[in-house]
Amino acid sequence: MDNNSIENGFIVDLSNTKNTSQLIYELSSILDLPEARNKKICLKLGDTDLNQSQLLSIKALIESMQGEIGMIDTASVQTKAAAENLSILVTELKSEVEAEQTVTPEEIDKVLGIVTTIDGDDETHKENIPLTPIADFSEVAEAGGLILNGDSKYVMMDTTGILPDEQKNHEENPESLPTLYLNRTLRSGQTLSYDGNIFIVGDAHPGSEIIAKGDITVWGILGGIAHAGAQGNVNAKVRALKLNAIQLRIAGLYARRNDTYNVPYVQKSNEFTPEVAVLENNSIVIYKKLRRDE
Amino acid sequence: MTGRVIVITSGKGGVGKTTTSANIGTALAKAGNKVVLIDTDIGLRNLDLLLGLENRIVYTIVDVVEGRCKLKQALVKDKKNPNLSLLAAAQTRDKSAVSEEQLKDICETLKKDNDFILVDCPAGIEQGFQNAVAGASEAIVVTTPEMSAIRDADRIIGLLSAKEEIESYKLLLNRVRPNLIATNDMMSVEDVVELLACDLIGIIPEDTGIISSTNKGDPIVNDEKSLAGQAYRNVARRIMGEEVDFLNLEEDKNFIGKIKNFFEKTIKEIKAKI
Repeated sequence: MDNNSIENGFIVDLSNTKNTSQLIYELSSILDLPEARNKKICLKLGDTDLNQSQLLSIKALIESMQGEIGMIDTASVQTKAAAENLSILVTELKSEVEAEQTVTPEEIDKVLGIVTTIDGDDETHKENIPLTPIADFSEVAEAGGLILNGDSKYVMMDTTGILPDEQKNHEENPESLPTLYLNRTLRSGQTLSYDGNIFIVGDAHPGSEIIAKGDITVWGILGGIAHAGAQGNVNAKVRALKLNAIQLRIAGLYARRNDTYNVPYVQKSNEFTPEVAVLENNSIVIYKKLRRDE
Repeated sequence: MTGRVIVITSGKGGVGKTTTSANIGTALAKAGNKVVLIDTDIGLRNLDLLLGLENRIVYTIVDVVEGRCKLKQALVKDKKNPNLSLLAAAQTRDKSAVSEEQLKDICETLKKDNDFILVDCPAGIEQGFQNAVAGASEAIVVTTPEMSAIRDADRIIGLLSAKEEIESYKLLLNRVRPNLIATNDMMSVEDVVELLACDLIGIIPEDTGIISSTNKGDPIVNDEKSLAGQAYRNVARRIMGEEVDFLNLEEDKNFIGKIKNFFEKTIKEIKAKI
């Protein structure tokens, strides 16, 4: 027997009861508890079959104990129909296991509101990585025979003297990291920081920041700053349907959007070509199409 | 070298503090001064956009005060003018992220190797304003010839005059439209100066070029033909101590008027020479 207090009610789990009399006995003993008084009772009935009159007597029992029936969670078709006839709300309650795995909106708000800085710990920023400012990606394209962004939308930033000299790079596979899935628009001033991969369905507006230990994928327009592999993972990638990030950062390498590259005020979605930014030869390279092994 | 720290403030929002900061800063740098612009509008930063430097920002003022980088690392050099640099505000934080003392320290440090430190103040009179003013010894109050902006400017002048550290404050009248003044639909420059009882440092005419210059991230002082750009360059010269006449914005548009103006100007110049 398990019961949990929730925000607007009181869950009574009766899914393990074998028959109606046991159910009513269990229920009345729980309703006797002081914390169940004046609450909206949510009944978890499992697959117990109840008809309309049985349900009505349960309702009467709850009301006689100064309670009110809030909703019913049931797997039984008969009980569901009976509840609907009595106009009792029937809802699918999340099981506890599911609830643990899902990131709640409150947690996401917390992540969005608070800037979790990746602190330059002694452990994370070691071993030299040469920062070569390369503006032209065509060499790489010829070598690999790959489709490149020809318009040089980005130029590498010379971060010598700006960033700490040393950073410990590693080649972890981002796939082994957990992924934060988010279905919302990231607006100016919002920072999303996560020790894993970040997947956003929506746009990341200019002025927003996405910082991930692993990959960043935006199913929409990426307009803010994106830092993949923020703790030095050189295998991390940034993907977006429209890659307009004001700055792209992968591990310890930074690229800024070219001054001459004009971003239209409004972009039509039929112009989108998925793009991916990866680290190659100490430069951030943008591919317009995902490679086969992506 | 001891630089001058000038705060650019207004009280009311949208009167052109940031545009003024970007333009005066650029004009001062063009004249050969070493200039640092500080954006103190944390959480609603814009100065980087007006200068076209958004893509170069790695560290912000908040990173400096929280010790994640050195002040020097956070200064973003201008694209065109190496004399000009920007200390950007953080977009992902709010005004409480820095304190008055911290801003004062930053200004003191920057004073050592710069001629001018211009502090772009956020709208309002709360913490953001107090922070911005903390390190400054001079102030430019930006206002437009509208009652609401003037009322707020008056409030700001009152607050500034109560601060011991502020040695002088000047008024900059922005978005002046001579044709509206002529038809009595807008307060005249004289009216505003009389209402606020404050010395004028510049009169900037309304200029549609400002809109495109802001969107492009290229301050209008870089446009030699623009009247507003000329007015901002004059403000910079006045800050540097030169005596520059205010632009004659009420210049007659018709041909005879132009000829009249030309003669008046020539006679004035001849008289000056004699």
